[in-house]
Amino acid sequence: MSTEHAGPEVRRKSRIAGTAANAALIVYFLFSLLPIVFIIALSLKADRDQTTTYLWFAPTLDNYRTVLGLDGGGSSYVRFFLASLTTSVGAVLVSLVIGVPAAYAAARYRFKGSDNLMFTLLSFRFAPELLVIIPLAVIYRQLGLYDTAVGMIWVLQLVTMPLVVWILRSFFADFPVELEEAALLDGYSRRRAFVKVVLPLVRPGIAAVCLLAFIFAWNNFIFPFTLTSSSAQTVTVSSLAYLGGNQVRFNLVAAGAVMAALPPLVLALFIQRYLVRGLSFGAVKG
Amino acid sequence: MSVTTPSEVDHDDTPAGREEPGSRPPTVSRRRRRLRPYTLAVPAVLLCVGILYPFFVGVSYTVFNFSAANPNPAFVGLRNFAEITTSAPFWNSVRVTGSFAVTATVVETVLGVGVALLLYRGGILGKVLERALIVPLMVAPILAAIMWKLLLLPEVGWVRPLLAGLGVTDYTGTDSPLWAFIWSVVVDAWIYTPFVAIIALAGLRSLPASPFEAAAVDGAGWWFTFRRLTLPMLWPYVFVAVIFRLMDSLKMFDIIFGLTTGGPGDSTTTLQINAYLESISYARYSRGITYMVVLWAAVYLISMVLVGYLRRLQNRTAGEAT
Amino acid sequence: MAAVEVRGLRKSYGKTTALDDVSFEVADGEFFCLLGPSGAGKTTTLKTLAGLVEPDAGEVLIDQTPSNDVEPTHRGLAMCFESYALYPQLDVYGNLASPLRSPLFRLPASEVDAKVRAVAGMLGIDGLLERPVTRLSNGQRQRVALGRVLVRPARAYLLDEPLAHLDAKIRASMRAELKTISRDAGTTTVYVTHDYVEALSLADRIGVIRDGRILQSGTPEEVWARPVDAFVAQAFGKPRMTLIEGGLTEDGFVSGDGVLRVPVPAVSAAPGDAVQIGVRPRDLRLRLGAEEPGAGWTAVDGRVYVLEHLGRATEVTVAVGDARLSVVAPRAAVAGLAADDRVSLLIRPSTVHVFATGDEGKRVST
Repeated sequence: MSTEHAGPEVRRKSRIAGTAANAALIVYFLFSLLPIVFIIALSLKADRDQTTTYLWFAPTLDNYRTVLGLDGGGSSYVRFFLASLTTSVGAVLVSLVIGVPAAYAAARYRFKGSDNLMFTLLSFRFAPELLVIIPLAVIYRQLGLYDTAVGMIWVLQLVTMPLVVWILRSFFADFPVELEEAALLDGYSRRRAFVKVVLPLVRPGIAAVCLLAFIFAWNNFIFPFTLTSSSAQTVTVSSLAYLGGNQVRFNLVAAGAVMAALPPLVLALFIQRYLVRGLSFGAVKG
Repeated sequence: MSVTTPSEVDHDDTPAGREEPGSRPPTVSRRRRRLRPYTLAVPAVLLCVGILYPFFVGVSYTVFNFSAANPNPAFVGLRNFAEITTSAPFWNSVRVTGSFAVTATVVETVLGVGVALLLYRGGILGKVLERALIVPLMVAPILAAIMWKLLLLPEVGWVRPLLAGLGVTDYTGTDSPLWAFIWSVVVDAWIYTPFVAIIALAGLRSLPASPFEAAAVDGAGWWFTFRRLTLPMLWPYVFVAVIFRLMDSLKMFDIIFGLTTGGPGDSTTTLQINAYLESISYARYSRGITYMVVLWAAVYLISMVLVGYLRRLQNRTAGEAT
Repeated sequence: MAAVEVRGLRKSYGKTTALDDVSFEVADGEFFCLLGPSGAGKTTTLKTLAGLVEPDAGEVLIDQTPSNDVEPTHRGLAMCFESYALYPQLDVYGNLASPLRSPLFRLPASEVDAKVRAVAGMLGIDGLLERPVTRLSNGQRQRVALGRVLVRPARAYLLDEPLAHLDAKIRASMRAELKTISRDAGTTTVYVTHDYVEALSLADRIGVIRDGRILQSGTPEEVWARPVDAFVAQAFGKPRMTLIEGGLTEDGFVSGDGVLRVPVPAVSAAPGDAVQIGVRPRDLRLRLGAEEPGAGWTAVDGRVYVLEHLGRATEVTVAVGDARLSVVAPRAAVAGLAADDRVSLLIRPSTVHVFATGDEGKRVST
């Protein structure tokens, strides 16, 4: 694409193409950021400004205070927020404890059924959720797991487990096995070789996977929507609840949505490097 | 390695190197060595069993007439399947599910590859915008649906004035069947175009430079380079994204539920929405899960075909590389 | 220190057979070279010995004790990997100290320090101890990998191509160093290489391996002078041994087209049998002028086919009928020579090797 030797005609053409490309990019990103800007603006509007203004209004944090119950009106939002936190963290931890050894085994050993295990886990990722939810709703009521954090953590494994195992397997598979072998011959047991050699080098990847799994668990809607009612209800479900009722206050809905969307967006900043591999389940190495 | 066999723990701290000559080093039998990977995988297998159990329970519901109104179900054979496959709502939701998934996947793929190509050009603008690319993808789909629902509301949203500025005066939001469908696709594309773009961008960055240099030396035009080089070499990457998007949009629930709840009428009632209405709203469990088993079977078959194609694609690319 | 032995090792990965009945013994203190082309099974053999690869069949004995069930950690073997396998998160010091700090040895810090510095000095990397291994040249990495082996006591050293990635100059000096080290330490060593010069110069005994089978093992003199088959014969020497197909007559060997006739040493084959002969280019001489062949030499006439200058010497390929014979001659001796010139070669029958036909034709000269 060198234009050094090209004539002025060609150079002019490529400049026009460059401008057009930049314009197209800007249009796409306006589209991409429009709902975000809109929802933030709406969340800062007083009731009377909701329907009468677009961008020019006196911003207020009252909606956030109301949603968080800081104005003395009482609110369950903080409880929902904490429930999201508990179930997401719990789901990631369970996936990690169970998934790390399985991912390691699948990457390091050829053993009977390892492919079956991996594809069973992957099929969880692609299975329609209601297929499991309907029987689970019945089973959970029998076991007393309906509307509990434990029940949520269990069902969220459908979201976090395939992610953790598949991505970590790709990390472990990329990890040179001879480093571990060298540690074995240096006199470390298998467990110590793993802790001393593999773990320090895979740790950033594991951290990224945890964050990504957390984000997906946090963002999940259908499981808490169908399998909780109040005590384990998460913030994604509660956001929808604000839309119901007779008197909808859109600015409150917006404030709730902004706060619920914030944790994943903040965490996403830390996983840029591993995003491609994470999103594609290790199929594409970014 | 949370699971270790007892003997490995025992020997962990034995300074065998200093053992007196003649003393036997600790041994691990062949059987135990062979069991090692299985020991590591056991918890994951148990977890799979724990998740497959409700799945099989669910599948067994399909041959009963289980519902909240009928807690002691009777065996009905394949009647559920027969009933839904002769019912109009089922075929309507098959149509809606299929057209939603295909439209959304195509739009996201084309748009995503386009965005990736534009970002690949680099420049300050590209670098800044690439950072922002991920934002919609990290927003919970249900929250995205809520944001868009508000954005589209004629009372508070910005879409009506924006369209009015473009001369559209008969804006109805999601009240018409066609526009409810279109806006659902738009929201899906809003979230997931970055997904395709991120993977395509990674693909672009990993393409070998030499064919492009050769094409530039030969004076090949932009379109030729794109058609004959970029696209074929990028396709295996893009196809990974296509598989994810098609599979995900076949079972998309959050966006449609949040935006239209399947309406107006049944114009955006996908199989998952229908199953939700049947089993959760009307508590007809057997009926609802029959929808899901059909969807699952379809997803499974489609994924088999697509993954098989992906394997061939990757093998072919690998073959060309060597 | 200990003797190591493998008996009947077999290993396959899916349909590919990596090891096909590999057996050899290495005596206590012996330096054993496993020589073969890439993909022959050298590394697999070494890793099986170390316990890192589980053989499908066969036995590993260390100090005459069956050791298949002993974990790699407890076999007391030190291995130098072809990929170096240095811990990237540690500096040179940390890598060298790793075995000494392991639960197996757990030496006090002062002792670790003394040993690390001693071995680093010996390998000329004492100036690099603080440097992260990711910022080393390949040659330096190779030394660190070797140092991690030499720093610790071991019953045997397993070295996998430890000189392969060094440039020619360093390789020659490291080869000399290794030879000194191994002689001084007297540690049993199994050394894997694809370079016959390394094998010949370092080994007490050599095992030639191909396609997962040991073709021959013996002292460097044995494998050089009496290769068991055509493959082993061609594995040593550069330029490679020339092989010519033909048949046996009462008087010796005659090439396929009948032009080349050479007397051969005693053979176990009968006249009329199809065989091939092998002649090392350095065992031939170019006849200069009207020089009379000395006792025991036979002259063969041909034409110059190709001349290749190798520095001070020149490799002359001579066409004798359809056969092509290579000879290495001093550059001065071939000064006036050009392609197609008539020349004559001198062959000594005692240096002619006779094999059955085929890539791995068995030796038939006795």
